[in-house]
Amino acid sequence: MSQTKFIVRKVAVLGAGVMGAQIAAHLANARVPTVLFDLPATTGDKNAIALKAIDALKKQKPSPLAGKDAIGAITPANYDDHLSLLKDCDLVIEAIAERMDWKTDLYRKVAPHLGDNTIFVTNTSGLSINTLADSLPDNLKPHFCGVHFFNPPRYMHLVEIIPCRGSNAEMLDNLERFLVTTLGKGVIRAKDTPNFVANRIGVFSMLATIANAEKFGIRFDVVDDLTGPRLGRPKSATFRTADVVGLDTFAHVVKTMQDTLPNDPWHGLFKSPEWLQKLIAAGALGAKTKVGIYKKEGKQMFVLDPASGEYVGSGEKGDDAVKDILKNPDPAAKFKALRESQHPQAQFLWACFRDVFHYIAVHLADIAHSARDVDFAIRWGFGWSVGPFETWQSAGWQQVVGWIKEDVEAGRALSSAALPAWALAADRSGVHFAEGSFDAAGGRLVGRSTLDVYSRQLAPARVLGEKSAPLGDTVFENDGVRAFTTGDDVLVVSFKSKAHAIGPDVLEGLNTALDIAEERFKALVIWQTEEPFSVGADLQSMMPAFMMGDWDSIESMVRRFQDTSMRLRYSPVPTVAATQGYVFGGGCEFAMHVDRAVAALESYVGLVEVGVGLLPGGGGCKEFALRASQQAKGGDVLASLKDYFMAVAMAKVGTSAIETQEIGYFRPTDVVVFNAYELLYVAKQQALALAESGYRPPLKVKSFPVAGRTGAASIKGQLVNMLEGRFISQHDFFISGLIADVMTGGDVDAGTEVDEQWILDLERKAFMTLLKNSKTQDRIANMLTTGKPLRN
Amino acid sequence: MTKQVQEAYIVAVTRTPVGKAPRGMLRNVRPDDLLAHVIKSALAQVPTLDTSLISDAVVGCAFPEAEQGLNMARIGVLLAGLPDTVGGVTINRYCSSGINAVQIAADRIRLGEADVVIAGGAESMSMVPMMGNKVALNPEIFAKDENYAIAYGMGLTAEKVAQQWQVSREDQDAFALESHRRALAAIQSGAFKSEITPFEVTLRRPNLATGEVQISKKLLDTDEGPRADTSLEGLAKLKTVFDAKGSVTAGNSSQTSDGAAAVVLVSEKILKQFNLTPLARYVTFSVKGVPPAIMGIGPKEAIPLACRQAGIAQNDLKWIELNEAFAAQSLAVIRDLELDTTVINPHGGAIALGHPLGATGAIRTATLVHGMRNQGKQGYGMVTMCIGTGMGAAGILEIL
Repeated sequence: MSQTKFIVRKVAVLGAGVMGAQIAAHLANARVPTVLFDLPATTGDKNAIALKAIDALKKQKPSPLAGKDAIGAITPANYDDHLSLLKDCDLVIEAIAERMDWKTDLYRKVAPHLGDNTIFVTNTSGLSINTLADSLPDNLKPHFCGVHFFNPPRYMHLVEIIPCRGSNAEMLDNLERFLVTTLGKGVIRAKDTPNFVANRIGVFSMLATIANAEKFGIRFDVVDDLTGPRLGRPKSATFRTADVVGLDTFAHVVKTMQDTLPNDPWHGLFKSPEWLQKLIAAGALGAKTKVGIYKKEGKQMFVLDPASGEYVGSGEKGDDAVKDILKNPDPAAKFKALRESQHPQAQFLWACFRDVFHYIAVHLADIAHSARDVDFAIRWGFGWSVGPFETWQSAGWQQVVGWIKEDVEAGRALSSAALPAWALAADRSGVHFAEGSFDAAGGRLVGRSTLDVYSRQLAPARVLGEKSAPLGDTVFENDGVRAFTTGDDVLVVSFKSKAHAIGPDVLEGLNTALDIAEERFKALVIWQTEEPFSVGADLQSMMPAFMMGDWDSIESMVRRFQDTSMRLRYSPVPTVAATQGYVFGGGCEFAMHVDRAVAALESYVGLVEVGVGLLPGGGGCKEFALRASQQAKGGDVLASLKDYFMAVAMAKVGTSAIETQEIGYFRPTDVVVFNAYELLYVAKQQALALAESGYRPPLKVKSFPVAGRTGAASIKGQLVNMLEGRFISQHDFFISGLIADVMTGGDVDAGTEVDEQWILDLERKAFMTLLKNSKTQDRIANMLTTGKPLRN
Repeated sequence: MTKQVQEAYIVAVTRTPVGKAPRGMLRNVRPDDLLAHVIKSALAQVPTLDTSLISDAVVGCAFPEAEQGLNMARIGVLLAGLPDTVGGVTINRYCSSGINAVQIAADRIRLGEADVVIAGGAESMSMVPMMGNKVALNPEIFAKDENYAIAYGMGLTAEKVAQQWQVSREDQDAFALESHRRALAAIQSGAFKSEITPFEVTLRRPNLATGEVQISKKLLDTDEGPRADTSLEGLAKLKTVFDAKGSVTAGNSSQTSDGAAAVVLVSEKILKQFNLTPLARYVTFSVKGVPPAIMGIGPKEAIPLACRQAGIAQNDLKWIELNEAFAAQSLAVIRDLELDTTVINPHGGAIALGHPLGATGAIRTATLVHGMRNQGKQGYGMVTMCIGTGMGAAGILEIL
């Protein structure tokens, strides 16, 4: 435990620009009251600048706001009238434009108003933290440091903390605790070197890619095809990322590198290429001006040809031969093949990797505390699935060292700098080991942070080479699930299937786990070792029975599904689902039936069965009908059912755990966790708290009223309008009508009392009706072959 | 033939300004308060009339429930301070309720069973939304395909009319723009002054700092609907609401509104007894059903029928208040009947002025009577509209 308990009651964000406003939004998501400051407007409402920024948050995509109420936690303010509010803020985040003089001016203005223990941080992507600290009065320096959020801050996991020379250690720890648990961020501590860790390497990687593309004559759209998901990187790859970031911003970061890194061996590379300068001069700044490296005209995309300065039709892909190399699952063989191939695209890719490897080896000692920090910084800040050191290590450290040396000597690399001695050591096999990761400055291996907040991460992010045995002791395992315990009387079940789809093995395994939990454990938690929680029922596993028309066996599987949902609800031990990523269909139904869902903020939740022409058949329709009747005021079941019906009929997906609660898949009593790595910890805490509170399962609902046939008619009134208004297809209408019939309790009078099994039976029968329908079969086939829903 | 024993005359008619729903100035004003207000105002225009002679008040309302439930007509009569002996009946035929109220009131007089009757309409779409607070359709609608249209939303029926009568998006938008232009011109020239009774809105807001309720008052004296910033370009940008590939938008449909109107009708005997000036003579009313899927075409059936009943030619109508439920249905009716567009909605229509459903018939009666009289026109005028689930209605007055 920390010595002094640190509570953040209120936060101020100075600067309502893109970053400031979005940081405020994420604080608001976390229910942290936030005051958002900007300059006083010269005319009208003096808060107008902050107000406008707050308003703009509602329209941005992807949404910085996780729920509709979050925005209410942000209070607009201006530096003229509201500096006195700062004294009540436990954390003040300055996030104004990247100008040293502007920042220091502002510090002079706010310094007298800060509380004695206020943590004061600057959000910057590269300015020197120590130089900024020098402008502060001495009493503030212990409370000051730099942070670096990545854009968009809600979604990018990384925050770099950059201490200044006088930063108080306890303050840094408190800040890290807050960033990790309350805001859910992945923190690395960076040194005060230009652009810190992630941008230093990430931007270098982009510059190296640009330089190598020119050298090997690779079109920009081909570069993006090759340097995106095929390398485990975001779809925006290289040039689209630059467009999204803004070409002027990108050029500014490059300029900072040029100005602040005169002695970097790659200094010659730190300049904007001529074509980039021309685009900026012409006002083509990327996504924000709709024209940049790419532009869209009608439906056709165009990409810049840097040689001619003209736009050409975009969409060209990498060569199949090169793409085949990238598919090789053995990294050592893959890199060997890339390097040895004579194909310019392969040589280009190898060159990009080589230059990044070269760069990180040369700079590791100056810029980062360990190789692990470099890999996490790039993974969390640039969205690579594997960090650069991990990539190198997996490709065979020594093999790659040899290639880099050869290339450097042959003048093929972007710099002639020699690899550092540690990298060349003959016995070196990598930088990540069970005992820790390599710290080049200290010449030693360093373990993970021992800060208490990380004891909440039972399954933290790992780098390749680190110890990563399966968590806990296996209690039971079959082809569908692994059930384990870490000795705390909680049985944890993880699905083993692809995308954690639910097929017969998972159902059997989960039921066996429930048997065991009921016999020997206090509680059961469903938790996956990685996202998604579950994409729902495993349609593929139904195919054999489906092809043979063995409807009985499919129906018995659906029944099994429903029984499992009901068992999660009524088991004598508390059940908890720990969700992150997709929580679709059957996965959502399980999460709706457990005693408590513990949901990572980034949970995307929905009953999306209509996408494959089905309806929720694992208790989802039943659960909504039941909840509607329980929520009905004055007996009007239909009024509370309508929104639930629309959610199911439109396959509405909650785009955060909070929005999922607003839609109603998750209940107000379900718990939202901001850091997905803390999910298992919180889920267990919740499960144990339920168990220790003298848990008894809910009493079986003997009967509840349904909206009945008139309720269904009122819903169908709306459906008829959607059908006739050509918003839905005839088959959508048919499916929605069936969903309405099920959710209103079938062809009974309004207000009729039914039990849960009654609706489960309706649900199952309707599911079977749809499964036998050829249009539904077309939808399923399309999903299984293309992965995309078919509208028919 | 008619069993009429005497004529019925309008001696007073007034309306509230029409507020935008659900965010206009009347959003928190109860419809029964609006009703009492116009009843009082109408009677104030005939101060010599002995109110104990009023036998009944017939009030139209399209969704008579909640704030406008409980027989709003009788409540409005009592709130207006009329004697306990005055009756009150709330009637509903959706959008024609207001003109039907005039018809029922006139017919009581024409039959000789009453000499003074109040007619009117009141609707708060801010408080009671279209379709009412609880939609509860009959399951039998979905037992037969041919009954599905009972469940069609009004916008969808407008799309059906637009398709069947081939009314283009451009024509609908141009019609909408013209409605706004005429309404604004009428407001600017003060043409509505004589028919509108301003309404003072009382705002009650908490002062969180002092813990007191702050009461403030604001006078509404002008219709809120007409927009000076409407343009063809702006209208063309709006998305269709009722049909993904259709042509009906929020811009070329009537607005949702709050408002009320009251009409005082008397017999010839009363005219003489109290020395009252008749503003208009009630002539006739017609209603006719059409397929629910194309309800908007209703006036095409009702207008010729009313003219036949009155024994006049269509061209004898000098002013037609044709309710602009949708530009699509208005244009279809106008084109099929070859109506003279210069006499239709000279002061704009519901697309600009708003359409408080059950009140509209009475409100547009006020516009017709005062509009023609202000311009020194005498002779026949009409109030006509389409009606949900497929009907058309038309009432004819002779303006004196």
